[in-house]
Amino acid sequence: MASKLLQVPYGTRDILPENMRLKRKIENNIAETFTKWGYSEVQTPTFEYLDTFSASGDISESNFKFLDRNNNILMLRTDMTTPIARLVATRLDATNVNRLSYRAQLFRYEEAQVGRQCEFTQAGIEMMGGAGAAADAEVLALAVNALLEAGLKDFTISMGQINFIEGLTEQAKLTAAQAETVKQYLITKNVVGLEEVINENNIDESLTDIFKELLFLHGGEELLAKMRQKNLNKKSLAAIENLQEIYDLLKIYGIEKYITFDLGLIRDMEYYTGMLFEGFTAHMGYSIIGGGRYDSMMTSFGKPLPATGFAIGIERIMLALERLEDAKKILEFDVYLGYAEEKLAAAINKCNELRAAGKTVCMAVAPESKELAKETQTKQKCRNFEYME
Amino acid sequence: MDYITIALPKGKLFKRSVELLEKVGYTAENLSEDSRKLVISNDETKVRFIITKTVDLPTYVEYGAADIGIIGKDVLLEEQKDVYELLDLKYGKCRLMLAVPEAMQKPKITDYAHLRVATKYPNCAKEYFDNLGIQMEIIKLNGSIELGPLIGLSELIVDIVETGTTLKENKLLEVDSIYTATARLIANRVSFKLKFERLHKLVEDLRRVMQEEGK
Repeated sequence: MASKLLQVPYGTRDILPENMRLKRKIENNIAETFTKWGYSEVQTPTFEYLDTFSASGDISESNFKFLDRNNNILMLRTDMTTPIARLVATRLDATNVNRLSYRAQLFRYEEAQVGRQCEFTQAGIEMMGGAGAAADAEVLALAVNALLEAGLKDFTISMGQINFIEGLTEQAKLTAAQAETVKQYLITKNVVGLEEVINENNIDESLTDIFKELLFLHGGEELLAKMRQKNLNKKSLAAIENLQEIYDLLKIYGIEKYITFDLGLIRDMEYYTGMLFEGFTAHMGYSIIGGGRYDSMMTSFGKPLPATGFAIGIERIMLALERLEDAKKILEFDVYLGYAEEKLAAAINKCNELRAAGKTVCMAVAPESKELAKETQTKQKCRNFEYME
Repeated sequence: MDYITIALPKGKLFKRSVELLEKVGYTAENLSEDSRKLVISNDETKVRFIITKTVDLPTYVEYGAADIGIIGKDVLLEEQKDVYELLDLKYGKCRLMLAVPEAMQKPKITDYAHLRVATKYPNCAKEYFDNLGIQMEIIKLNGSIELGPLIGLSELIVDIVETGTTLKENKLLEVDSIYTATARLIANRVSFKLKFERLHKLVEDLRRVMQEEGK
């Protein structure tokens, strides 16, 4: 077998300096926004017991597992919501509202593609203990602000409500297995599969139409008005009213232009219990942000609490920004400082001065001619040039 | 307005797909299967067609090289690509089945365990045998599957049939049907978001045309 000496494992990557500067800038801007909104950063272990993650329901094949010395099964974290739920339940005062944020490396065994690696970074927030539309609206408004601060301009957040869909499957009297199939088809956007499930069952005609259109129920506020006219059950109607209430608050936040409704939206995490959302930007195949309400997760950790939150995919934001030219601006240092023979001391003093003034400086490692120094400036990607002679 | 790129597969689905798309206003000059041009555009209606090898079609759509495409469900099941399935177009009906030489027929499917199976559909075949709880030796071929049992390459075949004449000619007997497949309209994930209005209208128009034809 060929030696792996020079290879990195499947689905992982190195991040080179230019990209890393962009990455840190995005992360820092997002982190600052989180702080501005009253969220405190926490850190949790990179790996946890498998049992912790099983509590949140979904233990798929797509995680990296290994054993400790006592043969306990450990896994690399696949998301941050579960560890934070555990942390709140065990370490914090769960009677309070806890606003927490994080940035973390996560690991999922995925088919690697651009923007979809096995190791990736997420920055996000969780609001534990906040129920009601006001909490959801805060989370959505923060999501939009964080994306704007990260440097994105052109993006859309699609918002849905899991109870709308659950209400429909209940009203249609689908069995648990059928309802699960419906959810799977909604995740994979399989219109044909969805129709087949509906046709197999004797469902009231007014409902059949909604099911068949479910994956095409995209739109603005008028879509909610249209849904109120339909013959929906209490649960679905309450879901529509919940979306309306959140939307009205988003108008006050002034961010409604970023929001559309997608009533067939389901995410492949199983823990959502209310409003949920995903964000997209042009020319990106995957959502750049996802989140929603998950009121039952804390119950699994022994402290029933309402909760809502989101996670931003940092690498995907990087890709989106790299496609905009803006990214280039932050690739450079402020100053390249070269020096002639015997001028090292003067150069060091000059560097100290510049750095004290807040400039980023890259100093030559050996004396060089002015011409050579100019060439090095370009190679070192510095905006300005200083030379001590 | 951006172009909509449509991928069409060479082969049996091509003619009917072109006819159907023409009825909803998606067409281009010189759109034919043996066109030497790889990309055929209609600048007026902002539609672009690419004609691809059948098995590659879902890949073009998955990566967004095409916004939408038409392809058999059999290919979708075998290739397992991350694409959205928007409409069952009902034509191109065929069936994936398990066949054995007439002389080799056994009472139960599970009696064939551990034999060799020739197929163009190794993933579907494996899933089928896994569900039955039997292990087989699966041999991937790219064509003329029925040759397998004739020359002793395999005992069984898993293959697509439309009428079953080829089976009879080769003294093969269908012992189980695995699934029935028809042509599907598929879409790229991002295109579905970004070109939602046009794609939604396309689906509705196609549904209407199919309904009218069905009458």
